[in-house]
Amino acid sequence: MTARRVRNAAFWSACSLAFLCVAAPTLSMLISVFHQAVPALGWSLLFKRTNSIGIQNAILGTLLLLLGVLILAGGVGVAAGVYLAEFATGRHERFLRFFSEILAGMPSIVIGYIGYITLVVQFHWGFSLAAAVISLSILVLPYVVKTTEVALRQVPTFLREASAGLGLSSTTTVWRILLPPALPGIVSGLIVALAISTGELAPLLFTAGFSDQNPSLALVHHQLPYLTNVIFTDLSLPGARARATSAAAGAVTLVLLIILIAVGRLVSRGARRATARMTI
Amino acid sequence: MIDSSAQVGSRPGVRSDKTLAPEVPVRPESDRSPRDRTADPVFRVKELSFYYGAHQALRDVSIDIGGNEITAFIGPSGCGKTTFIRCLNRMNDLIPGTRLEGEIDFEGRPLYGSDVRAIDIRRRIGMVFQKPNPFPKSIYDNVALTPRRNGVKKSQLDQLVEESLRRASLWDEVKDKLAQSAFSLSGGQQQRLCIARAIAVRPDVILMDEPCSALDPVATFRIEELMAELKSDYTIVIVTHNMQQAARVSDKTAFFTVDVSDQGRVGVLVEIGETSSIFTSPEDQRTEDYITGRFG
Repeated sequence: MTARRVRNAAFWSACSLAFLCVAAPTLSMLISVFHQAVPALGWSLLFKRTNSIGIQNAILGTLLLLLGVLILAGGVGVAAGVYLAEFATGRHERFLRFFSEILAGMPSIVIGYIGYITLVVQFHWGFSLAAAVISLSILVLPYVVKTTEVALRQVPTFLREASAGLGLSSTTTVWRILLPPALPGIVSGLIVALAISTGELAPLLFTAGFSDQNPSLALVHHQLPYLTNVIFTDLSLPGARARATSAAAGAVTLVLLIILIAVGRLVSRGARRATARMTI
Repeated sequence: MIDSSAQVGSRPGVRSDKTLAPEVPVRPESDRSPRDRTADPVFRVKELSFYYGAHQALRDVSIDIGGNEITAFIGPSGCGKTTFIRCLNRMNDLIPGTRLEGEIDFEGRPLYGSDVRAIDIRRRIGMVFQKPNPFPKSIYDNVALTPRRNGVKKSQLDQLVEESLRRASLWDEVKDKLAQSAFSLSGGQQQRLCIARAIAVRPDVILMDEPCSALDPVATFRIEELMAELKSDYTIVIVTHNMQQAARVSDKTAFFTVDVSDQGRVGVLVEIGETSSIFTSPEDQRTEDYITGRFG
């Protein structure tokens, strides 16, 4: 009996230690960033731009980037995921998966470099929203494809059979029968993609440039401000104010991430409840 | 996997090393009910063989299935009854690697013809599955979805839904909760909903693959009653493990069995006839053995 108790205690201690190893640095990071951001915190953060003491332009730039990634990576990724899950066979399927996996392992800086060489220089777009959105989308595409595919595969097969038995076309089956129950899973995949995009720097360094003005909606020839750049640059600038601004940008980025993750968890909880009701 | 391709066609040269299937005895003319003599069979199956990849599941099945009556397929597990019924509405096209030899004619025209689309076929030959499989939508939407996609106008949808639910003996139980999820219904109600959904498409034939095996006896009884009512308007083919059900419900019964040989286990059709004759005086010894419980 005692031996088992000792083993239990040892196991639970190991688990608690592991939990601490994860929780402590996370908490410490959060606390330290917010602590360092304190001097710069204030309403001016949201209403002044980086040529003054705010980061309004960077916040708007990041949000604009997220919108662009949602549209581009969301559209292409969900379509590819649907194709892989429902229509691809044989060689097409193998190739698609192969390339998707290679893309997933591609370093973000390499993607940024390619974006620079082709989009910024070759296409003469310059540092621009289009180049930045395309590079970021390529980066997160494998995640969207994978989560869409998994979400669709989790939809029970009996629905496909029922739909086929009624003579419904493949398009109708996918759009009206399979996608609605898969939607929560797809949405949480999209949110993961957005969370990744929020914190990325390397691809954007080569494709977005920076600007002290609020971002315009122009796709090309206009440089784009974004939060992670502020974190990066201001840290190297002299003066306490710059460092505080850098920390403030970091704090805002973290807040954005936390919001995205919280929304993602709410969505997947809804998804779990919906699929539970489907299994009878 | 959604896949609409099929490999079709009979190949006359292939049969040299196969043993011929036993002659399928047909009930003498005098035993047939009047309608058989005049109506053409809805399905005419000629020497159908079916393969899952290299494995042969059915061998040389030849059978006629008549209209406006209930035909039951009975037989032991693994004899290919479900595979066969799925051939009748090309559901096996969805499974990659399958192959069909022989011919099936539906209302005189080849079912697997190159100009025939599986989707069109399945709108005329509906299917009800073993486990109820309603869509994760409201009761109304389950029934209305396919007609809406097929072009039925919104103004007629309400009436169509009500008609279909009435014919499936479900209207009274759900008329006040059409907007509720289909999953709020019991198993028996869900199966009747699936039948209503199939009827709403106005098919000519309804195929049922063990429709009551997942249901309790009361629900089973109601569905059997329903089948008897439906046969006046539809041709019904049912696969069942339950011999008593086949005896209660069907007009004709076909007995399939597994033929074990060096090449493995293959499903074959043994005999088909009027239900009463099959169960009282079957022609083939294997049928008698199965019915009396000596095996299977």
